Amino acid sequence: MRGCESSRRFFPALAFLAALLLCAAGAQASGSPIPHGTLELIAENQWISIGHPFYLGLHFQLERGWHIYWVNPGDSGEPPRVTWQLPPGLSPGVIKWPAPRRLGTSSIVDFGYEDAVTLIVPVHAEISLAAQPLARLGAEIRVLVCSEMCIPAKTQLSLTLPIKSRRPAPDVRTRELFAAARKDLPRPAPQNWKFSADDAKDSFVLTANLGARITQATFFPLAEAQIDNAAPHILQPMPSGFRLTLRKSDRLLKPIARLKGVLVLSGNHAYLIDAPVSKLGAQKNNSSSGIPEIQSLREGPQK
Amino acid sequence: MKRSTLYSMLVAVVISTAPMLVAAAKVGQAAPDFTATASNGKTFRLSDNRGKYIVLEWHNNGCPYVGKHYKSGNMQRLQKQWTGQSVVWFTIISSAPGKQGYVTASEENEYLTKMQAAPTAALLDPTGEIGHLYDAKTSPQMIVINPQGIVIYDGAIDDKPTTDLSDISGATNYVNLALKQAMAGKQVEAPATRPYGCSVKYSDSSH
Repeated sequence: MRGCESSRRFFPALAFLAALLLCAAGAQASGSPIPHGTLELIAENQWISIGHPFYLGLHFQLERGWHIYWVNPGDSGEPPRVTWQLPPGLSPGVIKWPAPRRLGTSSIVDFGYEDAVTLIVPVHAEISLAAQPLARLGAEIRVLVCSEMCIPAKTQLSLTLPIKSRRPAPDVRTRELFAAARKDLPRPAPQNWKFSADDAKDSFVLTANLGARITQATFFPLAEAQIDNAAPHILQPMPSGFRLTLRKSDRLLKPIARLKGVLVLSGNHAYLIDAPVSKLGAQKNNSSSGIPEIQSLREGPQK
Repeated sequence: MKRSTLYSMLVAVVISTAPMLVAAAKVGQAAPDFTATASNGKTFRLSDNRGKYIVLEWHNNGCPYVGKHYKSGNMQRLQKQWTGQSVVWFTIISSAPGKQGYVTASEENEYLTKMQAAPTAALLDPTGEIGHLYDAKTSPQMIVINPQGIVIYDGAIDDKPTTDLSDISGATNYVNLALKQAMAGKQVEAPATRPYGCSVKYSDSSH
């Protein structure tokens, strides 16, 4: 899809027409319109296999300059929310959020996605599920699409898939989108990486021991109102990792026990981290490595 | 010559870091004072209202989160309810000229009439000076100041960060909560929350 976009920019007239036809032919069931983009409900497999978990995806395609939000949207905005309408025996899990980007200005910083993003969701298919030729999977999505200004939208999407007792088979039409989505998911930090955070009055100092000098790191906090999103993050490379100074949010009035978030290193490698927070000067012997599930990191109710 | 270069470098450093040194409003601390011109032409000074509770409401008439609270009449109800109890309510518009939500005085007066809004005054802040002084991030961000001039609440209007009008009835309104608890001599239960909404359209907000 991104390829379609670039062809449109580079080739005029005939080539553009040809590209458009190719794109149209190559596209799967086209997405539903949302403000300044499209949204499509996709499935990873050709059919639902009884007793086998599978993935659905929400594929957002946005016009240049427009964005949607991460699970922690940052200073403004709101993440997309899904209400699933699935047949009995199918239970959706929570969205797997790819690492976001910093968006916004010098004083207001948001976390989100531009251009295109696929949010994937695991679905559990019970063993008691009955085979049927066409099961309807529905989703109502509320999404805020923003450039400098924001437009809220509510869209109803659906997809029909057979339910079979046969083993699952991937759908070649969506294979690339799911592969790309998985590539951008933050992964658990390696066991031997150690993180700890010091509570230093106005800042948290995140210390990472990764066994190598790190010169580039961006931290995205999972909880709202812990870090001052707009304040510059000060990175100090260390022989075996780095030290990152994160200014506290003015809204953080109570001490926190853990600093949880996504760490993006050079090459867009993203890791989930969960660092114990200790008062500066206090003993710190309980440093921890990454933990596996993004949703277990998020505080507060999930809707 | 060398000394003057050094001096100008120092001055440059001081100027460039100046915005960082200005203390933004913080819960539990004194509300920074300001003077502003309202859409009705009057001049208001925050500190002239010492002795009263003050509500600051960041506004942008094009923002769907603001629209949620005005189309439902929720914001107007709050304004009437609290100004009726001697609370001073300032609606503040920090959108820069050319940005979403920027209004002239007469446009704002028309809006106030049309929406039957009832703040004490709508303050025009096209330079974003007041917005930055309070580190306002969104519309509708809400701040409550007590009669001693201390910020006792800073954050969202309620606990439902959506644009759905239907979410208002079941929401906990943080402004009501702060005013009621403070007036009853109690500790404000939720003094700081994430102020949901649209980003404030300051002059630096080009994308």
